[in-house]
Amino acid sequence: MLRDTLKTLLAAYGPTGSEHAVAEAVKGLLEGHVDSMRTDNMGNLIVEKFGTDPEGRRIMFSAHMDHIGLVVTHIEKEGFLRVSNVGGISPAYAWRRKVVFENGIPGVCVVEPGPKGGGQPGLEHLFIDIGAQSREEAEKLVQIGDIAVYAPDFIPLGKHRIAAPAMDDRCACALLVEMLLYAEDQKNTVVGVFSTQEEVGLRGAGVAAFNIQPDVGLALDVTAWGDTPEVKYPAVKLGEGPAVKIMDRSMIASPKVRDALFEAARAAGVQVQREVLAFGGTDGGAIQQSRGGVPTGTLSIPCRYVHSAVETIDMRDMEGALKVLLQFIDLV
Amino acid sequence: MELRTLTDAFGPSGYENPVRALIRKAAEKRCDDVSVDRMGNLICRKPGRDRTKPAVAVAAHMDEIGFIITGYTDDGLLRFRPIGGIDPRVVVSKWLSIGEEGLPGVIGAPPIHLQSAEERGQVLGFNKLYIDIGAKDQKEAEGLAPLGSYAVFDTPYMEFGEGFVAAKALDDRIGCFNLLKLLEEEYDSDLICVFVTQEEVGLRGSQTAAFALEAEIAVVLEGTAANDLGDVEERFHVCTPGEGVCVSFMDRASIADRELFRAMLELAKAQGIPAQVKRGITGGNDAASFQRSGRGMRTVVLSVPCRYIHSANNVAKWSDIRAQADLARAFLKSL
Amino acid sequence: MEIKAFLQEVTTRRGLPGDEGPVAQWVAERFSEYCDEVRVDAMHSVVGRIKGEGPRLAFVAHLDEVGLMVTNIEEDGSLRLGQVGGIDPRILPGMRLKVFGLETLPGIVGAKAPHLLSQEERSKAQTLGDMYVDLGLAPDKVKELVRVGDQVQLEQRFVDLKNGRVASKTLDDRCCVAILYRAMQLLEGLKHQADLYFIASSQEEVGGRGAMTSAFHTEPDMAMVLDVGFAHQPGCDREVTRNLDAPLNTVGPYLNPVLTKKLEDIAKQIKVSLQKEVAPRGTGTDTDEVSASRSGVPSVLIGVPVRNMHTAVEVLDLSALEEAARLVAHFAAAARTAWEEELWN
Repeated sequence: MLRDTLKTLLAAYGPTGSEHAVAEAVKGLLEGHVDSMRTDNMGNLIVEKFGTDPEGRRIMFSAHMDHIGLVVTHIEKEGFLRVSNVGGISPAYAWRRKVVFENGIPGVCVVEPGPKGGGQPGLEHLFIDIGAQSREEAEKLVQIGDIAVYAPDFIPLGKHRIAAPAMDDRCACALLVEMLLYAEDQKNTVVGVFSTQEEVGLRGAGVAAFNIQPDVGLALDVTAWGDTPEVKYPAVKLGEGPAVKIMDRSMIASPKVRDALFEAARAAGVQVQREVLAFGGTDGGAIQQSRGGVPTGTLSIPCRYVHSAVETIDMRDMEGALKVLLQFIDLV
Repeated sequence: MELRTLTDAFGPSGYENPVRALIRKAAEKRCDDVSVDRMGNLICRKPGRDRTKPAVAVAAHMDEIGFIITGYTDDGLLRFRPIGGIDPRVVVSKWLSIGEEGLPGVIGAPPIHLQSAEERGQVLGFNKLYIDIGAKDQKEAEGLAPLGSYAVFDTPYMEFGEGFVAAKALDDRIGCFNLLKLLEEEYDSDLICVFVTQEEVGLRGSQTAAFALEAEIAVVLEGTAANDLGDVEERFHVCTPGEGVCVSFMDRASIADRELFRAMLELAKAQGIPAQVKRGITGGNDAASFQRSGRGMRTVVLSVPCRYIHSANNVAKWSDIRAQADLARAFLKSL
Repeated sequence: MEIKAFLQEVTTRRGLPGDEGPVAQWVAERFSEYCDEVRVDAMHSVVGRIKGEGPRLAFVAHLDEVGLMVTNIEEDGSLRLGQVGGIDPRILPGMRLKVFGLETLPGIVGAKAPHLLSQEERSKAQTLGDMYVDLGLAPDKVKELVRVGDQVQLEQRFVDLKNGRVASKTLDDRCCVAILYRAMQLLEGLKHQADLYFIASSQEEVGGRGAMTSAFHTEPDMAMVLDVGFAHQPGCDREVTRNLDAPLNTVGPYLNPVLTKKLEDIAKQIKVSLQKEVAPRGTGTDTDEVSASRSGVPSVLIGVPVRNMHTAVEVLDLSALEEAARLVAHFAAAARTAWEEELWN
């Protein structure tokens, strides 16, 4: 079930560059249900479900496994951990959150004292307190180079919504898993890529696409939101359906693929939104521009408070997205 | 006379000749007593059927905002300044017509690639803007556009949307358009139609025209700025295109005669003419001159809501343009 | 067709980055008048081939235009805009636009009326967020015809100025696509050995994407990229701007010096005056992507200067176009496989 898959994947530890635990979790869910599974040099997990038509298209679907974190760069004499960012994590969001390392060691993130003369605190004002009282004590628990992520959580809100760290992009991973489980007798071949290192420049997807050489690409990711009091862009709202991406910084969706998504939504009876993002990117950008170019689009899940510990989505958008995806496979 | 013909005509403040000639020809078909005074104002007198009734002046200005050539660069570009109140920000990357012959020119801007973020955040003032006519050097430029040449926006008239028109100079060729329409009919009162010059550079034509007029009441037909789009708070809209002719109680240059103000609104209501009250006191117009020049008159202003007034593309709604003519006509007939 | 007529036509065809379909279609038809093979690839780049033995020589000019996109529809029916490619928002107030919704709709860009602004507000340039598009339609009608993501094109006019100068939008870089077309015409009177690929690339304005992918599948041995440069105009540093009336060539680390020297020699031979420009690092053109494609492609970069780049009134000199076309044709005719041995010492 979509919700259970989501819960499982949200719990896995997987900052950018260390996605193996997430890959294992995905493998566990897909074992026996797909025709092939392999991992490449970038750590991308690539699975295939062959289509019935040998002349059919190969479609690469991509959802990234990594999420943002804080990497330890220095341990103070008193045992405090100085950090730098892995992906787009900001002090404003990380402050006063509980974080956790791969080995389970918890810590709290602190900003102190803040920049002189006011203004937003930078990463240099941040540190993690793991309760160690000295460098020696700290070194028994963590090393320089270890990465902390927001402590996993799962907060149901109202009837339909869930807040959790790593919704970006585990919700899309969950969608991809469910799509692979439910797709049956499709003509086209589905290549599902659970990609790595998206948060630092779409790196995993670029390499995967170069090797896979798909006929069509579709990225699955979260997009930002436009339905809280002060935030209006992108003009998407939670609960009004998944969003078909028109454009973001990494890619202008290929019209063919974009239109196929609209057609799939119509066929599935799912209401979709249109999304124009002024900043940000998805794996779609890397796939579209690989080799000689690949027609590519992105299907997005509206998500509030992206890159915080309380990324919030609406399960109705997820259910809708799954239906659209299943229709989409044979429409290109 | 089509509105398009009037808006296409060349007539910046200080050089209204072409548009005056156009209006004069049309006026002479509708009125026997047409003259031009020492400021270039075109005055049409139509005697009424009942000479005991008060004479009414109805005015609109012929001039439009424009530009004047003030200098040259070595590369053959023209330096220029605005005629009338033009925000330099609306002038960037636009097309101009220089002189009556319509020499084409464009106002460019430094490419963004060569500007720092700080520079891009600054307004390009008139001292940083230039007209390009393709001349190779100063000598050639001077020959084609001598110092003091006038220019206007080059904007093709366009009807668009649902009943909207976009053109240059809707302020105040709309008023001129409606004024010519009023001349087509007969009234009981003496009617004096005044097509005024140089409104945009300080209400100068009306000042001198008003001085010599023998009317007690003056109705001014104008365009006024509407600010109703772009998620602007309602209290800043001022007026709304589509809601009828706009009657002002006050602006920065004059306060309307209270009785005339009320009479206009009541008349509109009684006759089913769409009308609204101007919800703001911004702007100023020829009513000030008619009210206080010479012996003074009772004045009221009827305006058509115009979006993007004083830019290359003014926008107004036809239903409001018709309402302005209907209300003015109804008023004349009610006296 | 004549180069000026080509230019007048091609600058009206729609082709925002990512959806160059309409202009790509038209350019492909024109290229097929002179090319042996023409294709439009997955990214809407157009590749026309005039066959030869070798070397494989690509000419690249981009066909996309900077534009805008609807990002939101306000309650009052006005539209909000986002950029597609680099547009200076200062050109927009009072400009006409075309919105490609379910119908093509004309609109006007509005911003807060000046006399309703405070002194302080008037001294700052308006941002794109301060502006909106007025379609003259009731909000319900707008929502029926327009969606978020619909493309918006700048007002199009082609104006003849004096001395063979013209003003239009999208001279960047369709004037260079026109140069390619003219060069094809001139090549009919010349012999060439090279296998020639004329590429009208897509999505340059958002990062050289069409050039990158088309270079990948074309696999040229050498390339010449064509893009516009900056002409003298007030407010710009004369160190980086040039005269309107002659073509440009660029030198710098991203360009191959030996190939560039051959270009300059050919120009001298056929009496084309070149104005040299220097790019200390990236060139800001398709050259950056083409020269690093696969294992690398030695490249040269030429162009013509324009004033007011990325506005609706870019200005260029038609004689510079003709001279550039002559250079392209003669460079194509002169290219030899033997050149590849000389490129690096």
